[in-house]
Amino acid sequence: MVVLLAAAVIGGLVWLARLKRDGTRTDRARTDGAGPGLPDRPFGGKRVPSALMAQGRIDVCGLTKEYRGVRAVDDLSFTVEPGRVTGFLGPNGAGKTTTLRMLLDLVEPTAGTATIGGVRYADLDQPIRRVGAVLEAGAAHKDRSGRDHLRIVCQSAGILLARADEVLELVGLGAAAHRTFRGYSLGMRQRLGVAAALLGDPQVPILDEPANGLDPEGIRWMRDLLRTLAAQGRTVLVSSHLLGEMAQLADDLVIVAAGRLAAQGTVASVIGSMTYLSRTLVRTPEPGKLAAVLGSDVVVTPAGDGGAYVTGADAVAIGDAALRAGVAIHQLVTQLPDLEAAFLELTAGKAAIR
Amino acid sequence: MTALLDSAALDQAGDTGTTLARLLRAEFMKLRTTSTGWLFLVGFIVFTAASLAINGFGSHYQLYPQQGLVSRAQGLAEAAQAHSPAGVAAIAASMMTSGQRVGVLFALLLGVVIVTSEFASQTAAVTFVTVPRRATVIWAKVTAAACCGALFWLMGTVIAAVATPPFLYSQHVSTSLAGWIVARSVLLNLIGFAVWGVFGLGLGAVLRNQMASVIGAIVVYAGSFGAETAFTLPYNLFHQSWLLAAPVIAPALAYAVMIMSGQAFPDAPSGWVGAVIMFGYTAALVAGGIALTKRRDVI
Repeated sequence: MVVLLAAAVIGGLVWLARLKRDGTRTDRARTDGAGPGLPDRPFGGKRVPSALMAQGRIDVCGLTKEYRGVRAVDDLSFTVEPGRVTGFLGPNGAGKTTTLRMLLDLVEPTAGTATIGGVRYADLDQPIRRVGAVLEAGAAHKDRSGRDHLRIVCQSAGILLARADEVLELVGLGAAAHRTFRGYSLGMRQRLGVAAALLGDPQVPILDEPANGLDPEGIRWMRDLLRTLAAQGRTVLVSSHLLGEMAQLADDLVIVAAGRLAAQGTVASVIGSMTYLSRTLVRTPEPGKLAAVLGSDVVVTPAGDGGAYVTGADAVAIGDAALRAGVAIHQLVTQLPDLEAAFLELTAGKAAIR
Repeated sequence: MTALLDSAALDQAGDTGTTLARLLRAEFMKLRTTSTGWLFLVGFIVFTAASLAINGFGSHYQLYPQQGLVSRAQGLAEAAQAHSPAGVAAIAASMMTSGQRVGVLFALLLGVVIVTSEFASQTAAVTFVTVPRRATVIWAKVTAAACCGALFWLMGTVIAAVATPPFLYSQHVSTSLAGWIVARSVLLNLIGFAVWGVFGLGLGAVLRNQMASVIGAIVVYAGSFGAETAFTLPYNLFHQSWLLAAPVIAPALAYAVMIMSGQAFPDAPSGWVGAVIMFGYTAALVAGGIALTKRRDVI
């Protein structure tokens, strides 16, 4: 009996010690590399522990939303992985915002599911500690200060109100904290939206057009912020129209058109799948002769400045043909399509507004 | 996962109350941090003060009828009636609830604004993303609307309680403000303010559009007073006596029947009928508002 009691007491003490040690470790992990600025990239943007993968992955499966007979989103399926920035692209009316709203339980899907870490948003415990969303840059009461707006979100979510001041400093709105939302510029409103999304230090930041209205410095700030969030192992989903910005920022792309998936993959693989859009710039003193030896399947168009664009043959084929025909080549440059060209090709002919 | 920045705030627990309690406190923060709630309160105080003044003049002429306006005999009879214990108690009750019959409009409209401002300022998405339990969000708003109604009542009653004793003293009459007639009127008004606040909230939750809800609330309130006239025609045609009591189905008349010690209109039914109708409308609007809020997409 005494032995059993002693074993229970010792077991309890060991359990308590482990609990305390884990707690200390967690505290250290939280503060390590998290100075006043943005911390290092603990996962280098590549390898993410599998537990986090499961927690933060977004799975959209067969998602459909019909409004009065019009399918705004049509059997859409894609995944968004942790540790990466995923760009969510599509023309106006392609169903991006509707998809994000279905993901956040604001819009009821007609069919299909959208889960975060395998759980529907509505079923998440303390959702804003898991998911932080920016949906509308203008989503605050015009007469309320930015600080009060955030404090109300804190209060609703059971977060200490002082967190509002922390995120306001983080997004650079500390000086404008007490100004009413009416007096905020569009860029400041975007920053306030991001501040609201970061209140719960979420694993999954979801941002709908966050760069709209930002000046170049603001866009750079947003890019650094999102890259840092992804580097910390978070699942960053960003919808945007700014294709150039997305090409620099995103690791992965999900492109939708007319409510359907047009492409998904890494930026390189999506653009790479469009190799038929690539062309070769050739400078030669005998463009006519080169065109003749390349054959009728190859299209040669003048590029101005004495050069010509060749489509239908790659640089190797052009070089070999020129060598055989004794045509001098002064310059031979392969030009791959950029994201804009790939995007326009992928979404071409699909009705933007339905 | 590393925190984005050192957060002293996130390491500490915030409000650990139930979701409903947290949301209710958030609702009060929303009201405190915009000018709308304060404007309503100031407007109500000014309205109450003005009503007290007008009511004071009316009561004075009730106690001391002006020569020339009525015949001497009629004046003496009215004055005697007003000076009787019941008459003085009625005057005290009327003073203590000055302006409250129309003042409930402030509670009604604030109830409308509590829910519709979320849609007008597009904060509904923020609210529902923060707490995706829509029914709980509406219940918090219902509670906030009832509390705001009660606050209006408290302000009005405190102002009246400060002004009424000196007024009665100046008119050389006295009565106990704790007497049943006065207390009944005051307490029924508390219920009335809370119920009208919730009525407005339910209406706003059903309609969502702020302008439509405000107009709807005013039409429902003011339009009720046309119900008596509206039922005159069917009564003249069918001569059914229940048609004379039927105007009680209009919300503002149901409310009047509920709170008034005398008859709100000729052939008015008992107070409990008004209460049942008023609570019925309010419950139906809240139930409808919750059901629609749960079903509708937030876009």
